[in-house]
Amino acid sequence: MRKKEDSGQILLITAFIIASLLISAQLYILDVGKISGEMNSNSLNDFVSSVKLGSAHVVAGSLANISIGGAFSLLESNIREWAQFVSAQYVEGKNILNFTLEEAAPYSSGVWLFWGANGYGASSAYVDFLHTLVGRDSDVEMAYSVNVTTALLISSTSRMLNETTQQINTTIQVSDETGPALATQVTVYYKVSGSWLIPDGSNDFELLDYGNGTYLASFTAAILTPGVEVSVHAIDFRGVRVQANVTSTEA
Amino acid sequence: MLDQKGQIRIIESFLAIAVVFSAVLVSATFPSSPDLSKQKSLSNMGTQALIKLDTNGTLGNLILHSNWADIRTALNILLPMGVSFNLTVYDEAGNAVNLEAVQNSNLLGRDAVSVHYVCATTSQAVEFFVIRLQLAWAG
Repeated sequence: MRKKEDSGQILLITAFIIASLLISAQLYILDVGKISGEMNSNSLNDFVSSVKLGSAHVVAGSLANISIGGAFSLLESNIREWAQFVSAQYVEGKNILNFTLEEAAPYSSGVWLFWGANGYGASSAYVDFLHTLVGRDSDVEMAYSVNVTTALLISSTSRMLNETTQQINTTIQVSDETGPALATQVTVYYKVSGSWLIPDGSNDFELLDYGNGTYLASFTAAILTPGVEVSVHAIDFRGVRVQANVTSTEA
Repeated sequence: MLDQKGQIRIIESFLAIAVVFSAVLVSATFPSSPDLSKQKSLSNMGTQALIKLDTNGTLGNLILHSNWADIRTALNILLPMGVSFNLTVYDEAGNAVNLEAVQNSNLLGRDAVSVHYVCATTSQAVEFFVIRLQLAWAG
């Protein structure tokens, strides 16, 4: 009899238990969803890709500085600073960016500047990187090399227009590590009596841009002797400077 | 007496049903967990847009010259329509560099994802930046 009287209370207690089970189950599902939602929206590969691009930019910027007279050591100090900066940006695991400057000839401290008198000049930097990233769920180890090279190939011909004046035509080809490249600045010099002069309007100077990294500079100069020395200085779109000298041959 | 007991049972039953029903209602009002696939896709789009902009050093140089309008225009082109963004650039010390907002609409009240991107300039005096790009689906 007593059992029958209690059955209503048991029903209520059961209802409360069912209700609390429903709410706690829902809360658990929500909590699990939140944990998954907190996953880092930046995947490791994306981070490594951005670091790789940044490394290339640091090498290019350093070479641009070195090519206008900066110290070779600038490359190492800039990359070291970059590596420290990168390491501080990923706090969820081990993140180390190691690098090795190319020392094999003709490079020294990762840099090679060759501004020759045979019509060829190159400004180049070469660095090997190893990026190790140990995350919570996966690890990434990426080795890559960054080669930034701006090269200049020039050839020059001259012919006597009259007894005192020569017509000088110089073909200039600018290239980088991927192929022909455009220059943001091309400056032509010619040597007269030991001094380098820049041809201008008075020399009928013309610089023809073919749009594919090839330029044709033509000018006249009052030089009596054949074999005019010509020097070309070029700066590419990354700011890397390169120069080459050549002695013109008679056309 | 028996009738009263029966009425109490009925009331108790109704109470039990009400308790369970209210529990169902309460659990239904909990916010649903965020759609992870949509978030992942937004984050990928944001990263790819920044990588494209950074490929030849454009991004770093635009930051260096405080050219925020061009960055906003570029992101508007690179990101699909219907994506709202807000970009903040920090220097090496963690100070915000852009004093004006670089965004196409307000992200308040929306489920946003955040993309962090490290960037270096190609300038002769190399500088480093951290970019935080917040993205959300419009509407």
